Amino acid sequence: MNQKTGRRAIETKGLEVGYRGNGVVSNIDLVLPMGSFISLLGPNGAGKTTLLRSLARLLPPLKGVILVKERGLEGFPSHEFAKLLSIVLTDKVQPGLFSVFEFVALGRYPHTNFMGRLTESDRRVILESLSMVHAEDLATRRLETLSDGERQKVLIARALAQEPDIIILDEPTLHLDLKHSMEVMAILQELCRKRGITVVASLHDVGLAARLSDQVVLVKDGGILGCGPPEELLERRTITHLFDLVDADFDPDLGYLEMKGSRSRGRVFVAAGMASGAGLFRSLVRYGFFISTGVLHENDLDYHVALAIGACIAGCPPMEAIDEERIEKALRLVKQAPVFVDSGFKTGPLNRLNLELVKRALDMGCTVFSLRQAAELEKYVGRDATKITLCHGIPQLLDSMENMSL
Amino acid sequence: MMDRSISTSNRRHVLLFLLLLITILICMAVNIMLGSINIPASNLIQIIGRHDAVSTNGFIVWNIRIPRTIAAVTGGACLAVSGLLLQVFFRNPIVGPFILGISSGATLMVSVVMLTSISLNIVHLAPFLNTLSALAGAVGVMAIILVIASRTKNPVTLLIIGLMMGYLCHAITSVLVAFAEQEKIKGFVLWQLGSFSGFKWSEIKMLFSFGGMILAVSLGLGKPLNALLLGESYASSMGVNIRIQRLLILFCACALSSMVTAVAGPVAFIGLAVPHMARLGFATSDNRILLPGTILLGGIVTSLCDLVARLIFSPVELPISAVTALFGAPIVISLLTRQRVMA
Repeated sequence: MNQKTGRRAIETKGLEVGYRGNGVVSNIDLVLPMGSFISLLGPNGAGKTTLLRSLARLLPPLKGVILVKERGLEGFPSHEFAKLLSIVLTDKVQPGLFSVFEFVALGRYPHTNFMGRLTESDRRVILESLSMVHAEDLATRRLETLSDGERQKVLIARALAQEPDIIILDEPTLHLDLKHSMEVMAILQELCRKRGITVVASLHDVGLAARLSDQVVLVKDGGILGCGPPEELLERRTITHLFDLVDADFDPDLGYLEMKGSRSRGRVFVAAGMASGAGLFRSLVRYGFFISTGVLHENDLDYHVALAIGACIAGCPPMEAIDEERIEKALRLVKQAPVFVDSGFKTGPLNRLNLELVKRALDMGCTVFSLRQAAELEKYVGRDATKITLCHGIPQLLDSMENMSL
Repeated sequence: MMDRSISTSNRRHVLLFLLLLITILICMAVNIMLGSINIPASNLIQIIGRHDAVSTNGFIVWNIRIPRTIAAVTGGACLAVSGLLLQVFFRNPIVGPFILGISSGATLMVSVVMLTSISLNIVHLAPFLNTLSALAGAVGVMAIILVIASRTKNPVTLLIIGLMMGYLCHAITSVLVAFAEQEKIKGFVLWQLGSFSGFKWSEIKMLFSFGGMILAVSLGLGKPLNALLLGESYASSMGVNIRIQRLLILFCACALSSMVTAVAGPVAFIGLAVPHMARLGFATSDNRILLPGTILLGGIVTSLCDLVARLIFSPVELPISAVTALFGAPIVISLLTRQRVMA
């Protein structure tokens, strides 16, 4: 992918960072390879910003060493370091009256002469930096007229104008809307993949970090919880612990968080499968229901979502047919729930028995709702189908459940 | 399109500089010609051409008008640049050259000399004594500020310490005023409002050479000042040696305002307003353009204010600070509200 792999952009040994003897994060031993995308994850106040500032030589380390490109930080004259590493911080930047071009030109500082005179090549680099963040058309705009998203791109362009090997960003998507967050992240990924620039960024979005990063660094409780590829590091328990999650849970296969909801409205059993339940689960959780579900194959999307929302699940190994024994287990869950919802899942040889659950739920006296077509339901359930409340779509289901004043 | 817009803004800057240069020359000429005795242009050319300092008009031109004009222009330029440096340094648009207590230090020392009996023995040195004591006070405060600046990292701390020093000096001064005799107080109050009158050629040479030197050093600070506009973290990450630049900027700013205060008293407002006028006039915050811009504009504004101070209620001369504020404040307010941009 790029030739620089294997070399170290940043390495720390026994590092402790903080302010004036007030250690914030200690025992930091990191190896960040050249040309990789590195995300720092951790709760607010864990010390991500402090660590980033120390790596950027803005804050002297309290203990230990930082090596940048295998050289100690003290070894660099300030101009040389500025050509190696640049930053984008969350500090509010209000330089006054500048055009975007002039502002990005400030980043040429370490390259220009005593008076800061721009040469032809400086101008080329400035325009190229702007085009790297897809902001060529902003060049003549006044800085103060930019939106937050445009501003962030221009701040990145300014950092790029230093022509760095490493760029450090503190929460680059802070205050940005979805479109601009995604655009900024795409730009950063492009810088890393196409230009071989090492990107070190603190992020809040675990899902995004998991998708983009070559390495993640987990910062918590004054230490480093882990450093390595997201595939190895970002597991359910690690993330729950990292952020002390109570209301949500991370699923590494979904790559996202699911909300657990208030669970104040009692249990609902959802017969699901074949990805028919994921959206339904989320809606029911939103309305405060506690969900039990089954029988789900463990490779089903529904299974992953159910796991992340903390549902009770009757599971079944992938590719195995659902048998009586598993149905019995599911029925124990049905018994605990006064309401039963049939998600309208597609059936095949492996999950046909799940339809039994609908009949048995009726026998047990559950209130049963179904999202299936009437004809289809009648075919499976027979005459009892009339006892079932049919709903077209999830909103109607939620309405009906509401009306029953559960 | 890109290149064209860059070159048009460059051309605009060049034109503005030319305009300012011509204006400052005209201002100087007018300052020399007008007064209680008006000297026509033809006469002035004669006097300057022949180095005539003997005739009445010649005497006025060479010993009163020219020193005063040079003092006003140079003093204005120094104050304006001092204000610009500190506004960028503190990243605060309402900062002026005297925010760090320079003028208060000078005022304190002058009040000691003017209001107490300490100077009685050397009273024949009075005019020089004012200048020397003001210089001593200003340089004293400047030295304290520089020592503190080399120890503390936080500009806000420095700003607050500067303000506190101002209050301290002010407190002592007011105690002296309370005990002083009535007629001494009037002289002191007038000194506090500043004036460019009564300049000797020796003072002019001092102001012009030292001021010129420090102005020249300041012109070289444009690049690091621009980087500092982004804040110290960004500046440092671009390779600015913060420690050295901080001290250099503070030294230049304090030295410039100290010098002017010593010879002309605390002239208010110029250092605060002229940088804003320059920023809005040139429509940029690029200090490499603003530095020469404020030098010219500072000279123009101050010499015009001095002219008004001399002429408007002639033969009574108004204090220069009254004129600078009376005429300058509305101009700055209108410029800023029209542009809706600060700093």
